[in-house]
Amino acid sequence: MVISPVHYIAVPLLAAFTIPLFAKIHKELTRIIPGIVLLYLAYVSYVLMSKVMTTGPIVEVIAGWHAPWGINLVYNGFSGFIASLMSIMGFLIWLYTYRFKKVDDEPALKFYILFLMMVAGSIGIVITGDVFNMFVFIEIVGITSYSLTAFYRGRDGAEASFKYLLIGSFASVFLLLGIMLLYTHVGTLNMAEIAQKMHTIPTSAKVSIFVMFAIALGIEAEMFPLNGWAPDAYSQAPGPIGAGFAGIVVKAGVYALIRIVFTLFDIEGAFQYLIVMGLITMIIAEVAAIRQTNLKRMLAYSSIGQMGVVLIGFGIGTTEAIFAAIFLMFNHAVIKGLLFMSGSFLVYNDDKKQIVSLSRFGKKLPIVSFLFALGAFAIVGFPPFAGFWSKLYLLLAAADKNMIFLIATILMVSVVEVVYYLRVVGKLYFGKEESTVEPKKPAFNSLIVMLILGGVIILVGVYPDVITGFIQNAADTLADKASYISNVLPSL
Amino acid sequence: MFGDYQNVVTMSVYGSAIALILIGLYGVLIKKHLMKIVIGLSVVDSGVNLMFVAIGYIKGGTAPIFSPSVIDKNVQMVDPVPQALVLTAIVIGFAVTAVALSLVIRLYKHHKTARIDQIKSLKW
Amino acid sequence: MKKYLAIFLLLIVGFYLIQAFNLVPFGENRIGNVEDESTVGAFYLKNTVPKTSVANVVTAIVVNYRGFDTLGEVTVLFLATTGLGSILFRKRKHGEEEERVLKESSQLVRIGSRLLFPFIALLGIYVFIHGHLTPGGGFQGGAIIATGFLLMLVAYKNYRLGHGTLTWVESFAGITFAGIGMWGLITGGTFLENNAFSGLGNVNDLISGGVIPIIYIAVGLKVAAELTGVLDILLNIKPNKN
Repeated sequence: MVISPVHYIAVPLLAAFTIPLFAKIHKELTRIIPGIVLLYLAYVSYVLMSKVMTTGPIVEVIAGWHAPWGINLVYNGFSGFIASLMSIMGFLIWLYTYRFKKVDDEPALKFYILFLMMVAGSIGIVITGDVFNMFVFIEIVGITSYSLTAFYRGRDGAEASFKYLLIGSFASVFLLLGIMLLYTHVGTLNMAEIAQKMHTIPTSAKVSIFVMFAIALGIEAEMFPLNGWAPDAYSQAPGPIGAGFAGIVVKAGVYALIRIVFTLFDIEGAFQYLIVMGLITMIIAEVAAIRQTNLKRMLAYSSIGQMGVVLIGFGIGTTEAIFAAIFLMFNHAVIKGLLFMSGSFLVYNDDKKQIVSLSRFGKKLPIVSFLFALGAFAIVGFPPFAGFWSKLYLLLAAADKNMIFLIATILMVSVVEVVYYLRVVGKLYFGKEESTVEPKKPAFNSLIVMLILGGVIILVGVYPDVITGFIQNAADTLADKASYISNVLPSL
Repeated sequence: MFGDYQNVVTMSVYGSAIALILIGLYGVLIKKHLMKIVIGLSVVDSGVNLMFVAIGYIKGGTAPIFSPSVIDKNVQMVDPVPQALVLTAIVIGFAVTAVALSLVIRLYKHHKTARIDQIKSLKW
Repeated sequence: MKKYLAIFLLLIVGFYLIQAFNLVPFGENRIGNVEDESTVGAFYLKNTVPKTSVANVVTAIVVNYRGFDTLGEVTVLFLATTGLGSILFRKRKHGEEEERVLKESSQLVRIGSRLLFPFIALLGIYVFIHGHLTPGGGFQGGAIIATGFLLMLVAYKNYRLGHGTLTWVESFAGITFAGIGMWGLITGGTFLENNAFSGLGNVNDLISGGVIPIIYIAVGLKVAAELTGVLDILLNIKPNKN
């Protein structure tokens, strides 16, 4: 059997259905099977990405019906890169969570199934070539996220989850309305065919449809003003899930939004819209981050701000800017993942997750604190860490188009980031007095994962060429709308 | 004159579905009791699904089933695609409502109240 | 004040929506001439009977053309049950009987439910077995069966559902569906391709359509099991005793 993109979805599904049966035999299996599946997905990524880099995009037909009569999956430079990133991050988070004590106290069986499907659903959003299919996967991600946010017994998880659910349902409604309207105008649900027929729609209708999609996907991508759900969800969810949201779920949301803007619609002003919304998101989120005393909420706001920067990058529209934006997505997944993971251990025993309780943790948890500091420096953009390159490329791309205002704002926001991240690092190493909170020593597997992420950050920082080949390919593929259409609909 | 009639029918059909959506949204936004919010969500789902089905209708068409009585005749049939999409959407709406209800139960057990203004412990 | 602001906002949204949808008049033929196959709708209407031998076009779309969506949807149901279980989980203390908050119903209701239940279940099974011939199908049939169970759950205070059985049915049905999909892949075709049987039978026969009825039966059973499971979880919450 040839490895093909549908494995990303079919294998996790099969595993999810069989895990309850395996649970009757041996409970431990419910923890292990998702890990094996995720490892397999990482392997699938390796195989498929190699294929894509050599022979070009893979379009897979489902159920034997070619596009547009059936659903098809599109695995090209861009979607493949993001899907691979998600599968690898998924595996790493699983490894980190294995035997994560707080998760073990609860019904662990359900956690791993939900997490596995959250990753699979996000990958589904990325590789599908059909708008309604995308909606179904968004709902899969939604349901798993709502359940995982409310996972812990004692905290306000249920409330954060409920809020998330309401806003998420709002997104679904608008997405459905948009799909409906789109279908009535073009008579198809296939992305490539929609792209082809887009010019036949009257402009007023186009704008309406775009607005609906933008609202719906903006909620998933945590764009302002639709991201009210994010800080609560990130901070109330278990630590590894926070990493999952930041590293995997939000990437899917941003991908969907970008796919809509770049491939489906040809509206004047869509790109400017991205820049403006990205700017607003970035500024408001970063400013809010300073005021946070809860470490996880701070990281959540920072995450939102980063997504704003990514949107700006995509909005600028040149291939260099897209390159920078995709690089940012990669860096954000890795670095934020590390920050959430290490942050989780730092505030493990503090119920309120306050930063002040981290005084002098540099001594008590040396490795974890060091990794957190590493992440903090990386995300702000200090060389020689990975974050430096993506910021640099973005600023260069903006300079290319003489967007001085953008450069100035991004730099100012970077300063803001330095302030609130260095505040935490400072507390870690130079805090006034010893904290009364007991630190929690990380388990071996968690430590390994964090070290791997840290290593990647340093590696990419020093030799960015390791990854730039993939990113360049991704950027080129995204910018090339015509070949997307011709790959999917070869007969036309 | 015919055009006018068409417009009225269109407006009333779509209008009633949209009215359902708006009523449901009103429930979600304004009502304070958690159950009412969830019911509002359910009403919104109904409205959206109604819209879907309405879109697929073709004047004078019949159900897209090739039963023995119509199989060899050239009958006008309605668009089958929105119906298939609605099936999926209804089930997904149900699933979300179920999760919402479980959250309401949990919130109620924890806070002893089901009113959202008394539960707000998470600030902006 | 907030109320009026919300109403105002909603009216604006409503007005805007009506404007947008006014461009697509109700009842207008948007799928074009069936012969031309210009839109997906037309293609399905024209080609379902020749290519899949299934009479119900909607079933063919749901299970075959867009079977991937259905797989996702079945997953959503499964995840909802799992999520419900994880949100409402209570460590079962030893000797604690699950007690429900319902009062015992009158004898009329109890006996009536017991009489009705087999017929309801039969109707549900009929609906999903004939999904490819008549209106209905897996989801509808499953929901009907679940309604029967709901009747029993509401009528009887101590109606016990075999959780093990439900889990088995769920998993088995899910594996059938995904397995048929993988079978398509393994035998050289594409995922979920309808190539398991050599012949597709004649239209309007009970045995026709290849794997389509099989998938729908699996879906029907799965949906019934899951909906019943959800109802059971929601009805078995112990009231707060402080």
